[in-house]
Amino acid sequence: MKTKQLAMIALATLIPIGSAVADYPSKPINYIIPFGPGGESDITARHQQPFFKEKFGQDMVISYKPGGGGAVGWSQLNSAKGDGYTIMGINLPHIIVKPMQKDVGFKTEDITGVYMFHYTPDALVVRDDSEFKTVQDVIDYAKANPGKLTLSGSGKGTANHLAQIRFDDMAGIKTTYVAFKGTGKAVAALLGNQVKAQWGYTSVGAKHEGKVRLLAVAMEERHRKFPDVPTFKELGFDLVSGAYRGIAVPKSTPKEVRVQLSKMIGEINADPEFRKRMENDGMALLDVDYAGYQAFMDDKIGIYGKAARDAGVVK
Amino acid sequence: MPGIEYLLDALTPINVLLALGGVIAGTIIGSLPGLTATMAVAVLVPITFTMPPASALILMGAIYTGAIYGGAYAAILLNTPGTPSAIATTFDGFPMAKRGDGDLAVTLACLASVIGGLVGAAFLLMLAPPLADVALAFGPVEYFWLAVFGLTLISALSEGNLLKGLIGACFGLLLACVGVAEISADIRFTFGSQTLLGGIETVSALIGLYCIPVLIDLVATPDKHLKVTHQPRGFRFLESVAISWKHKLNLLRSSVVGTLVGILPGAGGSIAGLVAYSEARRSSKRSEHFGKGEPEGIQATESANNATVGGGFIPTLVLGIPGTPPDAVILGALLIQGVRTGPNLFTSEGSIVFTFIYGLFLATILMLPVGLIIGRYAYKTIITVPKAMLVPTVGFMTMIGTYAIRNSISDVVIMITLGVVGWVLNRFGYSPSPIVLGLILGSIAEQGFVQAWTIGAATEDLVGMFFGRPISLAIIALILLSLFYPLIRSRWLGGTRRKVRAD
Amino acid sequence: MQTDNHSPPAGRDVGGMVMAVVFILVAAVSLWDTTTMADADSYVFPRAIAIAMIAFSIALIVWNLVRPSPDDGSPVEGASTPRRVGLVAAMLIATALMPYVGFVISGLAVFAAIMGFAMYDPWTRFRVIVYPLVGAGIVVGFYAIFAELLLVPLPTGLLFD
Repeated sequence: MKTKQLAMIALATLIPIGSAVADYPSKPINYIIPFGPGGESDITARHQQPFFKEKFGQDMVISYKPGGGGAVGWSQLNSAKGDGYTIMGINLPHIIVKPMQKDVGFKTEDITGVYMFHYTPDALVVRDDSEFKTVQDVIDYAKANPGKLTLSGSGKGTANHLAQIRFDDMAGIKTTYVAFKGTGKAVAALLGNQVKAQWGYTSVGAKHEGKVRLLAVAMEERHRKFPDVPTFKELGFDLVSGAYRGIAVPKSTPKEVRVQLSKMIGEINADPEFRKRMENDGMALLDVDYAGYQAFMDDKIGIYGKAARDAGVVK
Repeated sequence: MPGIEYLLDALTPINVLLALGGVIAGTIIGSLPGLTATMAVAVLVPITFTMPPASALILMGAIYTGAIYGGAYAAILLNTPGTPSAIATTFDGFPMAKRGDGDLAVTLACLASVIGGLVGAAFLLMLAPPLADVALAFGPVEYFWLAVFGLTLISALSEGNLLKGLIGACFGLLLACVGVAEISADIRFTFGSQTLLGGIETVSALIGLYCIPVLIDLVATPDKHLKVTHQPRGFRFLESVAISWKHKLNLLRSSVVGTLVGILPGAGGSIAGLVAYSEARRSSKRSEHFGKGEPEGIQATESANNATVGGGFIPTLVLGIPGTPPDAVILGALLIQGVRTGPNLFTSEGSIVFTFIYGLFLATILMLPVGLIIGRYAYKTIITVPKAMLVPTVGFMTMIGTYAIRNSISDVVIMITLGVVGWVLNRFGYSPSPIVLGLILGSIAEQGFVQAWTIGAATEDLVGMFFGRPISLAIIALILLSLFYPLIRSRWLGGTRRKVRAD
Repeated sequence: MQTDNHSPPAGRDVGGMVMAVVFILVAAVSLWDTTTMADADSYVFPRAIAIAMIAFSIALIVWNLVRPSPDDGSPVEGASTPRRVGLVAAMLIATALMPYVGFVISGLAVFAAIMGFAMYDPWTRFRVIVYPLVGAGIVVGFYAIFAELLLVPLPTGLLFD
C-alpha cells in the first residue's frame, strides 16, 4: 500500500500538468466532510461514494473534520493541495451566515464551489395527532396566541431558523423558535410533545413516516415522495429553501480540473438509481454546476443575508 | 423471548466470527486514548455495505461494545479514560492500580462490563418500544436537571475543599462554551484564534487533563509507574467473581441506570457512568472509600457504560433518533442500506433486528474471555515495559490519538496546553475531575436551560417549566438526596461531626 | 489533605489563593467577551457561570484569610523540573512542526526526545541499539495503522507531498 502510494506520487510529479485532466482521477479522491460522521452531510456523501467508484474507477475516501459548525474545515480548505484529489463538502446557509457573524477564518467568496448537488427542503412538521391539519391552522393559532406557538428546529442561523424568520414575516405572525443541537433532537422534542411543531426538513417526514405529518414543503414543486403535501408557493408564500449541499475544491485547483469534477458530480446526479435513493430519503436533487455556481450563490447571499439580520444572529 | 426463532441466525459461523473479531478490535481501539467507538464504527461503514444488514449490525455493535469496555484499561492503568465513558473508572481504577491491584481492577471491569452489556441487551430485546417513550418524555428541562445532578458529584470528588471543586467546575463549564455555540450560533471565547474556533473537544481535553500530568510526573522521578508488590496472580478471576457477587445489587442498579441514561439521546456513556457512580457511592456502606480505590466504583461505571450500548439502540431502532454518537453512525449506515427504522422494524424486519440483538448478546458474552486475555496482556505490558519506553509510547499515542479525533492539529495543541494547566492546578489543590465534569455537562446544562427557558417564557409558565414536571421533580429529589444524604446519615448515626463542612 | 485532620500545620494555602486570583481574571475576561455576543441565548449561561466563579474564588480567598489551612496540593520536591519542562516542550515543538515535516518525522523526534527525558537507567549498548529501534517501530507501526487502516489523513508535510 505504502510503496504503491509512493510510486503514484513519483508518477504524478513526472507527468506534466497539461495532461492532468485527461486521466483524472488516477488515484483515490479524499472527500472531506466538515462535520462528524452520521449526519446528513455524511449520509449524502455515502450515497455518492459507490457511484463515484462505479463510474470513474477510483475510490472516494470520506474523512471528517468537524468543529465550529463546519468552520474549522472550510477555513483550512484553501491550504490543501489544489490537484483535484482533495475536495470538501459545503453547506448553505452555513458558508454564507457564519462569516457574516465573526471572523471564522474564511469568507464566503474564498470558497470555490464546483457543484451544488442537492438540497434538503425545509418543511413545517407536526405530530401525526396534532390539531394542526393545514398551514392555515398554524397561522390562525399563531395569530390568536402571538409568541406562544413553539417550534423546534436545528440550531440558529440555520436553514430551519431562517425559514422560520422568513415565514413569520410573510404570514405576519410571531412564533417562538426553540433551537436544538441537530435535527434528531429537534424531532425528539416534537415527538415528545415538548413543542407544538417543528421547522424541519422533508427528510424528517421520510425518516419518521407515520409519526409526523408535513404541512408544507419549501420547494418549487411538490416532492415526489410526498405528493399530497403542498408547497409553500401553492399556498401563496414565496418560500423555497433548505439545507443546500455541494462540493468545493481548494482555490489553487486548475480550472480544467474544476470543470471536470463538476461534470463528474453531475453524472452521478443524473444516475436514476442515485436519484431514487436520495429521494427516498426525502432529499431533493439540484443541478448547479461550476458555471452556474456564482449566480446561485449571489442569489442566496441576498436572501440569507437579510434573513440572518432579521433573525438577529448577525449584528 | 421475543424473536427466539432468530437466535440460530445470529449463530451462523460468519456472524460468530464477526462478533468475535468486532469485540477484539473494539477492545483494542477503546483502550487507545483518542480512538473512539464512533470513529471505529465510521471506518467500517463502507465495508458493511457488502454485508447483509444483520451481520453489519452485529459487527458494528460488537466493535462498539468492545470499545466501551476497552476504555477501562487506559483509565485503570494510565489514569486516562480511553473513551469518555470511562471517566468515572479512573476515580477508583487508577488508585487501585497504583497500590498494585491493577490486575484485579481490570478483571472486575471486565465482569461488570459483561453484566452491564447483558442487562442493556436484555432491555433492548424485551422492552424496546415502551422504553423508547422514556426518551421522548425527557424534555429540555429534564436534561438540564440531569446535568445538575451530574454536577453534584463535585462534592464527592473534591473531598477536602469544596470551594476549589466548585471553582474548577465553573472553569470546566466555561471551557465548554469555547468555540461556535452549538445551538445559538454565536462564536464565544475564541478571541480571534483559529485554534479555539472548533471548541475544546471532550476526548482531547480528557487526555490532556488526565494523562499529561501523569506523564509529567513520570519523567520527573525514577520511580516505577505502578507498584508491583506481588508475584503474578493470574487473572484473579475467582476473587473478582466473589467481589461481584457481594455487590450484585450495585451491579444490577448501575446496569439499569446505564440502560435508562443510554436511552436518552445525547446523554451517553459518560453521563451514565457518572450517575451510576454517584448513586453507588451514595448507597454504599463504604462511601468514604470511593475515589481511593474502591472496587464498587469501578463496577458501577463499567456496568453502566456498557449497558448504554443496548439502551442507546432503543431510540435508534424504535424512533430513528440515535441514542449515542456511535448509534448515529450505525443509523446512517442502515439508512443507506435502505433499512427504515421505526416501531414497525421489530415486526416487519424482525429478522434483522432480532438477529442483531442476539448477536449483541453473543458479542457481550465473547467479551468475557477476550476482555480477560487482552486485559491481562495490557496490565503485564504496562508493568514490565521500562519507563524509557513507556513514557514516549504513551506520549506519542496521546498525540496521534488526539489528532485522529477530528483530524486537527489544534486539538493536539489544546490537549497539551490543558495538560500543563491541569498539572499546575493540581499542584495547588484543584483536581482535574471537577473541571472535566463541567466540561462534559456544560453543553447539556446550557442547552437544556436555554431551551426550557425559551419554551417556558413563550408559554408564560417558567416556574411550572422548571419545577412543575414530574420527571424533573424526581431528578431534583435525587439531587437533594445526593447533596444532603451524607449529612442526614451522619446525624442519623449519632452525629460524629466528621465530613460535615461549614459550607 | 483531610478535613478531619485536627492538627493543621500553621500557614496559609498561598498557592490556592493565587490560583483563585487567576480564576477571577479568567472570569473577568470571559465576562468581557460575552459583551460581543449578539444572541441572549449565547451569553446568559457563560455570564452566570463567570459570576459564580468570581464569587467562589472570592469566598475561597476570604475563607483562607479567616481560617488558615495548609497547602493541599501535590508536592514537587525531589523531582526533576528540567525533565518535566523538556517533556512538554518536546511535545509542543513536535506538534508545531507537524504540518511542515510531516507526522512520521515529528513523531520519531518527539519519541526520541521523551525517551531521553524518561531515561534513568544507564545507556548500555543493548539499550542504545534496541530502544530506538523499538521506538521507531512503534511510531511507524501506529502511523501505518492510522493512515492506512483507519484512513486518518495524518499530515504528510511539505517535503513529501
